[in-house]
Amino acid sequence: MALSKNSGGHRGMQESMYSVIALVFILVACVELCDAAAAIDVYRLIQYDMSGSAYGSRFAALNHHAASLHFPPGADLSRAVLIIPLRELNITFVREYINQKKPLGGLLFLLPDIFSFENGGNKQVHEKEQLKNLLAELEQLLIHANIPYPVYFAFENDEIDTVLADIKKNDAIGQPATATTGGYKLVIPTPEPKKVASPTITNIQGWLSGLKADGDTNQLPTIAIVASYDTFGAAPALSVGSDSNGSGVVALLEIARLFSLLYSNPKTRGRYNLLFGLTSGGPYNYNGTQKWLRSFDQRLRESIDYAICLNSIGSWDNELWIHVSKPPENAYIKQIFEGFSNVAEEMDIKVGLKHKKINISNPRVAREHEQFSRLRVTAATLSEISTAPELLQGTGGLYDSRQFVNETAITRGVKLVAESLARHIYGHQGKNVQIFADGGSLAVNPAYIQSWLDLLSQTPRVAPFLSKNDPFVMALKKELTDHTDEVNMQHEVLEGVFTFYDSTSARLNIYQVASVTFDLLLLLVLGSYLIVLFSFLVITTRGLDDLISLFRRPPSRKVKTA
Amino acid sequence: MTMFHFFNCAILTFGPHAVYYSATPLSEYDTLGTSVKAALVYLGTALVKLVCLATVLKVSENDGFDPYQELLKAVIGFIDVAGLYFALTQLIHRNISQNHKFQAVGLGWAFADSVLHRLAPLWVGARGLEFTWDFILQGLEANANLVLSISLAALGSLMWLRKNKPKTLIPIIYTCAGIVATMPSITSYLRRGLGWDFPKVVVFELFTSLSMAFISWQLFSACQRPS
Repeated sequence: MALSKNSGGHRGMQESMYSVIALVFILVACVELCDAAAAIDVYRLIQYDMSGSAYGSRFAALNHHAASLHFPPGADLSRAVLIIPLRELNITFVREYINQKKPLGGLLFLLPDIFSFENGGNKQVHEKEQLKNLLAELEQLLIHANIPYPVYFAFENDEIDTVLADIKKNDAIGQPATATTGGYKLVIPTPEPKKVASPTITNIQGWLSGLKADGDTNQLPTIAIVASYDTFGAAPALSVGSDSNGSGVVALLEIARLFSLLYSNPKTRGRYNLLFGLTSGGPYNYNGTQKWLRSFDQRLRESIDYAICLNSIGSWDNELWIHVSKPPENAYIKQIFEGFSNVAEEMDIKVGLKHKKINISNPRVAREHEQFSRLRVTAATLSEISTAPELLQGTGGLYDSRQFVNETAITRGVKLVAESLARHIYGHQGKNVQIFADGGSLAVNPAYIQSWLDLLSQTPRVAPFLSKNDPFVMALKKELTDHTDEVNMQHEVLEGVFTFYDSTSARLNIYQVASVTFDLLLLLVLGSYLIVLFSFLVITTRGLDDLISLFRRPPSRKVKTA
Repeated sequence: MTMFHFFNCAILTFGPHAVYYSATPLSEYDTLGTSVKAALVYLGTALVKLVCLATVLKVSENDGFDPYQELLKAVIGFIDVAGLYFALTQLIHRNISQNHKFQAVGLGWAFADSVLHRLAPLWVGARGLEFTWDFILQGLEANANLVLSISLAALGSLMWLRKNKPKTLIPIIYTCAGIVATMPSITSYLRRGLGWDFPKVVVFELFTSLSMAFISWQLFSACQRPS
């Protein structure tokens, strides 16, 4: 009886011991958490290799002191992180630093709120355009440079503003932060960035069948409407590309919805098949579009009458451009352009035609319709931009945020394209018939456009970081499934020219540290305090003689042993 | 470097106890046993106080000063005094003079208090990268607490262990003991009710502890003269 009681007692004690030990471990583990003066989310500059050359920021982990732009000239910044707010950015200064490969511990750029989706909503900032252009320039500089230290972007908020003000004050009095003088330390504890293995690009296509007359064995002609949905920017975690090409995707979805309404009733179904394509790999010479077209069988490709590619139609006022590769004298091109011009005139929009010949030997594909033209399919790109962008330019970077996109522009663009297509399909060219009239059941729905635009402006869509089953890709597929008869997904691997590295966002901890000299000084002070206390206590309780005797060896002992 | 800071704060918080023990005749008479026993009594008292506080107090949302709650806390604080009484009178000590007994008990009491209240925050907080003055201030507070504990033990030994005291001094002894015993309530009133910040409170504590120590020293030597 006593034994079992004892063992029960022992077990009880053991359990409480375990819980105490567990508590101690938890306590010890909590040391590193919730320790910093401030902790903010930061987004890393993209790191990629193109054709073997390294670009972007090659490091991710950060553990250095902070410095501001007011650092004393001649200070050594190789172990300091420069914090630069965008408003105070001097682009020539940064360009000099990067091109001359001056040593630096790291760079942290602070972006104003207007470029963030959550906070930038509807604020009116005076220098919006200036900031946008400055940011675009900075982005191009950073993307094409090989930077051997971490570069991060963050949004301004109160915490970091106070920290920066403090740092500026310290720098102004000539005391930049180093190990011996104290100050602020920026720490980002991430592991080394690794290559993204086999980045996938996913093309989604939706097929809307036209009405085949009885006894008609020929393949119906097809019209393709295409938009690329992925982006590329300086900070992949922030590349939402509202205009490039969020506006194109939204327009495509709305056009699909309108035509699915028309095609749902056999009486209003047109004699054309409609093929909707959401392609990926846009920034990389429209690689995805090429693979998508190559996957078509010959008959399908030949049945495509023409393709309209939508790109950047979100921030225009009154002028749009149609870019083609075939010469304007070509009959098909004339037909397309006239169709668009007629509708445009009615809507008070000016549409211009831009012709640029394609060069098959040049791998650079500036606009999506060129991929179609390389395979002898008539195609045109509708865009607000009149010039052809360079590689990795205008692909939805940091500056391309929701603030700068206008839903009305997209609505008008959708109406223009839908009306022109419908007139071609139903044979009403030249006639003044409004199929998608405002206020009718087929009117363009601005709420639909706005909600999809908002979603796109919150979703970074850099292709290597979108997995096959990414929720956003699935959402696009579902939406197309709702509007079309048949949806297919094509998964490809992004070609070997580009290699990407992960670690796109992290959490920055800002610590206020004391210098080594401070600690040494404190040790000295405490040591002398304890010594003084010791002597005081000895003197008051035992007498001064005792204190002195502590330091003198008693001579009598030596005599005894001798 | 941050372990350095932890080391600095640790010697500020616990160093004086060790120095007190080795500097005064306590080490000569080997009164470590008494100090250890006093520390254990303090742990027991702390547990009892915790249980009482948990049953009596209610959690308030705001950090303000609630007089009723503070009064309850002060009353529970007197459990401290009871614990000290127990340590001084009921424990069996070896033959050491009264002079040294109260010092040893006060030392053990203060050491247990420091370890219980200040070691865990020090370990968790001072080792991080972030620098605050809090831990140095906490160390100074520990020093003030040491002085206060020893004076309380001295007054306690005067009240309960000494039989012949000059009549005039008795009320003074009791008032001083009362003041020292309610020190925790006074500091919390200053911090919450008047809104003093931590450095000011620590300075106040140091000042009062030194003055209380001086007064109790005078009382002790006054009581010692007749015998």
